[in-house]
Amino acid sequence: MNDWGYVAVAYVGSALLYGIYVTWLLRKERRLERSAGDLQPR
Amino acid sequence: MRTETLPALDEGLADVRPTARAPYRKLLGTATIVLFAVLIPLALVWAPQDAKQGDPQRIFYIHVPAAWIGFLAFFVVFVGSIGVLRTGKRRWDDIAASSAEIGTIFTTAVLITGPLWGRPVWGVYWTWDPRLTSYLLLWLIYLSYLVLRGYVPEPARRARYSAVLGIVGFLDVPIVYLSTRWWRSEHPTQFVFERGGLPTEMLITLLVGIATFTVFYAYLMTVRVRAGRLQEAVDEEVFS
Repeated sequence: MNDWGYVAVAYVGSALLYGIYVTWLLRKERRLERSAGDLQPR
Repeated sequence: MRTETLPALDEGLADVRPTARAPYRKLLGTATIVLFAVLIPLALVWAPQDAKQGDPQRIFYIHVPAAWIGFLAFFVVFVGSIGVLRTGKRRWDDIAASSAEIGTIFTTAVLITGPLWGRPVWGVYWTWDPRLTSYLLLWLIYLSYLVLRGYVPEPARRARYSAVLGIVGFLDVPIVYLSTRWWRSEHPTQFVFERGGLPTEMLITLLVGIATFTVFYAYLMTVRVRAGRLQEAVDEEVFS
C-alpha cells in the first residue's frame, strides 16, 4: 500500500466507525421514543 | 417538540427524568457537519506535507482530536462517577454511562488510525511502546466498564459498581498522557504548542480538528443521554 493508501483507509475507516455508531444511536433513540410514547398516561 | 416528563424512577437513585430533546441539539448536529466539511480539505489538501513523514502524517489531524475526545470523555465519566457516589442521583449515572460509550468509540478510532500512521512511519503497525500499551489498557478498562453495566441488571447497584470502575479507570489517563515523558517512547511527544512546534497551517488544521471532534462529542452526548433515559423509562414500565 502506498502512503495515500494508509491515509485513505484511516479516514474512510474512521468515517465508517462514526457513521455506523451515529446511525445505530439515532435508530435506537427513535425506537425508544416510540416505546416510551406508548407508555405515556392518556 | 415533546415536552412531557416520564414518571420518576425509584431504585434508590430517584430522579426526575426529562426526555425532551435538548434545544441546542440541532445546532450541534449542523455545526458538526459544517466543521467536518471544513476539516477534511484542510487536512488532506491545505496543510503542507510533513518533511520527514510525508503524507501519512495527515492521519494526525483525525488521530489527535479523537485521542483528545477519549481523554475528555473519560474525564466526564470520572466526574459523573463521583456525582453518583456523592449524590446518588441517576442523572450522573446517565452522563457517565453515555460518555463511556462515546469515549470507547473514539478510543477505538485512535487504535485504528494509530497503526495506520505507524506502519509507513515506523515500519510496523504495532509496538509495545509505553504510550500505545497504556492507551490499549485505557480502551480495555472502558470496554470492561460497558461490559460490567451489561451484567448488573439492578440500576442502583449497576450505577455504584460502574462508578467505582469509572473513578479507578481514570487513573490510567494521566499515565497515558505522561508516558512519553516518563519512559523511552517511539511515540511523538507533546511538541504542538511549544516554540518551534507545528507550522501555522498544521496548527490551524489541528485546532479545527479538535473543535470539530469536541462539537461532535457534545452532539453525541445529547443523543446518548436522552436514549439512556428513554431506555430506563421503558425498562421500568415493562418490569414493574
